[in-house]
Amino acid sequence: MTRTQPVLRLENIHKRYGDAEVLKGVSLELFKGDIKVILGPSGSGKSTLLHCINFLVSFEQGRVFLREQAINPANKPELYAYRQKIGMIFQDFNLFDHLTALENVQIGLVRVKKIPKREARERALAELSRVGLAEHVSKYPAELSGGQKQRVSIARALAMDPEVMLLDEPTSALDPELIGEVHAVIRDLAAGGMTMALVTHEIGFAGTLAREILFMENGVIIEQGPPDRILNHAQQERTREFCSKIARLHNRSQETA
Amino acid sequence: MDLSFYTQEVAPAMLRGLWVSIGLILPSAVFGLAIGILAGTLRVYGRPFWKRLSEIYGLLFRGFPLLVQLYLWYFGLPQLGIYLSPFAAAVLGFSLCSGAYHAEYVRGALRAIKQGQLQAARSLGFSRARAVYSILLPQAIRRALPGCGNELIYLIKYSSLAYMVTCIELTGEAKILASMFFKYLEVFFVVGAVYLALVSLASWGLNRLERYVSIPGFECVRR
Repeated sequence: MTRTQPVLRLENIHKRYGDAEVLKGVSLELFKGDIKVILGPSGSGKSTLLHCINFLVSFEQGRVFLREQAINPANKPELYAYRQKIGMIFQDFNLFDHLTALENVQIGLVRVKKIPKREARERALAELSRVGLAEHVSKYPAELSGGQKQRVSIARALAMDPEVMLLDEPTSALDPELIGEVHAVIRDLAAGGMTMALVTHEIGFAGTLAREILFMENGVIIEQGPPDRILNHAQQERTREFCSKIARLHNRSQETA
Repeated sequence: MDLSFYTQEVAPAMLRGLWVSIGLILPSAVFGLAIGILAGTLRVYGRPFWKRLSEIYGLLFRGFPLLVQLYLWYFGLPQLGIYLSPFAAAVLGFSLCSGAYHAEYVRGALRAIKQGQLQAARSLGFSRARAVYSILLPQAIRRALPGCGNELIYLIKYSSLAYMVTCIELTGEAKILASMFFKYLEVFFVVGAVYLALVSLASWGLNRLERYVSIPGFECVRR
């Protein structure tokens, strides 16, 4: 595989909230079809990092490149165009509560991409079928289960034709029984060659999906490598400790399940 | 009981006054709501200048008694060379006053919506203004509807202040009639009943509207 240029590249991102420096110089490259999973304890800056990638939070220092084009967030039209290329999935879904599943997926196409309504509707229906929700298109968020809501939000992001998907703990707010349906959709995306950055605590899922696992703590990536090495033969004491703790928890919940 | 007094005198006067009152209430309701939605939105999502301006607007127009505001528009403005008709002064006064109250309901409703939806919209490429307009406001207005409806019902009744700036509506007609025949009890009882009827009609309509725009997750209590 010739890795000429990364699709997305972060260079030395620094972010502080008041006195607390939550990101202390994070750099990252995502190549076409790359799947990077970010692990780490709460407060390590994983979520903030994803939010920095599409400038949902501003940061003091560092740059973001899409296909080696530096993004200038002060240039609004450029920023809005860039964000369309970056699909974002949130922990608590963030569906638009007053719109049906179909309208949730359609609204970005109509209002942002200015696609004619009929065409947008076709596209939205196709995306919803792709995530297995063809029968639920006219339901409102309040009528959907957590897993269905998260799949609507994935369809909504996919409809914009993103080049990269950012997934911020997509299954953390879900009942254990519903996690599988969302994981299945994410696996489909992976099989389709989607470039992804995923923050999760589902270590088993991470291990089978990731090309590379990054372990973050205190605002820095302290270790990164292929799943097997990070999960089973980590160099850093902290990484080993964290992974074995999560693995124990994971096994215990599987035994009791 | 002298029935002819009611048919010959009260009924025509009430009817005349009613049309003037409705003529005051409808435009004031529409302008007031529009001003309120704009001011409430700017208060939450406006740039600092607009935020501050709508704050001051709310403070002034909820702080000055409505009657004083009407006096300023009708008797005060001519000193600056601006002459408003009684009707125009009343509509202006009512719109600006009720807008200040609507703004509070809209502001509260906007703030009750989780920031996540705004983030999601922005991550799709929406500008902030467009996200507020097409994602947050449709939800906020639904949630503000009971409060705004209440304000509209107030408006129906404070429209009676218009006669103080010589715009002769229901209460004005009643005042003239009552003092002409010295029948205050009878006339003001009738005029009170007419307001009651208007308010009942408005609450019925607002209830219908609430149910009409209700969607799962935004239910009003079904009866």
